[in-house]
Amino acid sequence: MARQHSPWGWSPTGRRRWVLILLWTGHGAWVLSGPKAGGAWAGFTSAAARPVESVAAAWRSWRLHRAERATDLARAQAQLDALRQQVQTLQAAQMADAPRVADDEAAERLLGLKTKVPLPTQAARVLVAPVGAAFGGLILDAGADLGFTRDQGVIAPEGVVGRLWSVGATQSEVLPADAPNASIGVMLARSRATGVLQGTGSNRGEIRYLNNQEVVQPGEAVYTSGLDRVFPRGLLVGYVTEVKQGDLELQVKVGLAAPLRRLPAVLILPLPSPLEPQPPLVPQAKAGGAP
Amino acid sequence: MKRVLHLRPPGQQAMAAVTMVLGIALLAPWPGPQALVHAALVFGFAINPASALLTALWAAAGGWVLEGTHRIYPHLGGTPWADMTVALLARWLLLEWPVDSLKAWMGRQAVLAGLWILLVHLAVRLAAGPHIWGWTWAWVLLGLPLWSWITWRWQRPGGR
Repeated sequence: MARQHSPWGWSPTGRRRWVLILLWTGHGAWVLSGPKAGGAWAGFTSAAARPVESVAAAWRSWRLHRAERATDLARAQAQLDALRQQVQTLQAAQMADAPRVADDEAAERLLGLKTKVPLPTQAARVLVAPVGAAFGGLILDAGADLGFTRDQGVIAPEGVVGRLWSVGATQSEVLPADAPNASIGVMLARSRATGVLQGTGSNRGEIRYLNNQEVVQPGEAVYTSGLDRVFPRGLLVGYVTEVKQGDLELQVKVGLAAPLRRLPAVLILPLPSPLEPQPPLVPQAKAGGAP
Repeated sequence: MKRVLHLRPPGQQAMAAVTMVLGIALLAPWPGPQALVHAALVFGFAINPASALLTALWAAAGGWVLEGTHRIYPHLGGTPWADMTVALLARWLLLEWPVDSLKAWMGRQAVLAGLWILLVHLAVRLAAGPHIWGWTWAWVLLGLPLWSWITWRWQRPGGR
């Protein structure tokens, strides 16, 4: 007699039934678990995915920042190029304007000197400033056309320059103060002792005829004394650089204040008024005649 | 006395079910026609008189694919469970009380379709919470003559 298989036992039919029941009840339980189970599952999957997400976020952030850095670098490079071009343009403009600016500065300084010197001076531009010229050196762009004559004093904002040596129609030549054949009546600032400055070349000079008894210190200022009838009293000439005792007189070396070889423009002083000889004093005879 | 059922070959049954499942997936942009195919699967092509387990599996597959294509529920599973339940019920009715006329078949399918609609919405509500009804239920009911006639022909091969 064949054995009867139970439909719920461990037979193919029974197993299929149990699978079907599990399938249906499992679905039903899943449905009844509601959205919260889905939320829990989503939370679990989110937690599990967090490490990968953090790595991905870091990777994405790195790529973004790299792109931003590249963008910033390109922008900075473009700005740098623009600034370089701007600097080059400005430098070219500055170089083009340099002569005019120098002239303006020289004119401004001359103007300042002109206001300080209470004399009717005239300005002239220096055309040539040869080094070491014994007789005459600086060549000015004005001469007889502006009424210049010989022996007019020439000054600059830094100090005394020299005197006019020869005057042409439209140009004139200056005998600089450091020329060996140039001499200027000077006065020491502290001791008020006077002497004559004779040029020794290279922007230097030496004061002659100073008494051995005078006390002179290096660094002391030297001014014009006005006794040479070329320069008025009180114009800066230079500074004492060296003092030596001589046999009869002090040997005082002076460095001239004005850079004679680098002057763009100078002022021409007017000629001093000629000295008027005074009539000799004659004693008046008393009225009534001599006794 | 029970009627003798006309069983389809297993391969033919599987091919029909696969076609219906693929149809559900491909018709995702058109929920109305998709509901018709879904109903045809649950009430006809998934039902295997020889295996309750295959019936439940194909019906559940159709439900999972449908919910997967919608992607609007926070918690899936309601539709497959309802599909499985109604398909098993339809299979049991088919085996226990087979019908001989298309009219009776359509009447039974209409009742089952109404029950299915309610059960699907109840299960989805239990699983995913409140949701919109939409108009797929109307498509199912209005398209009942079509999919019911197709399933009738499928269950009675040869037009007998």
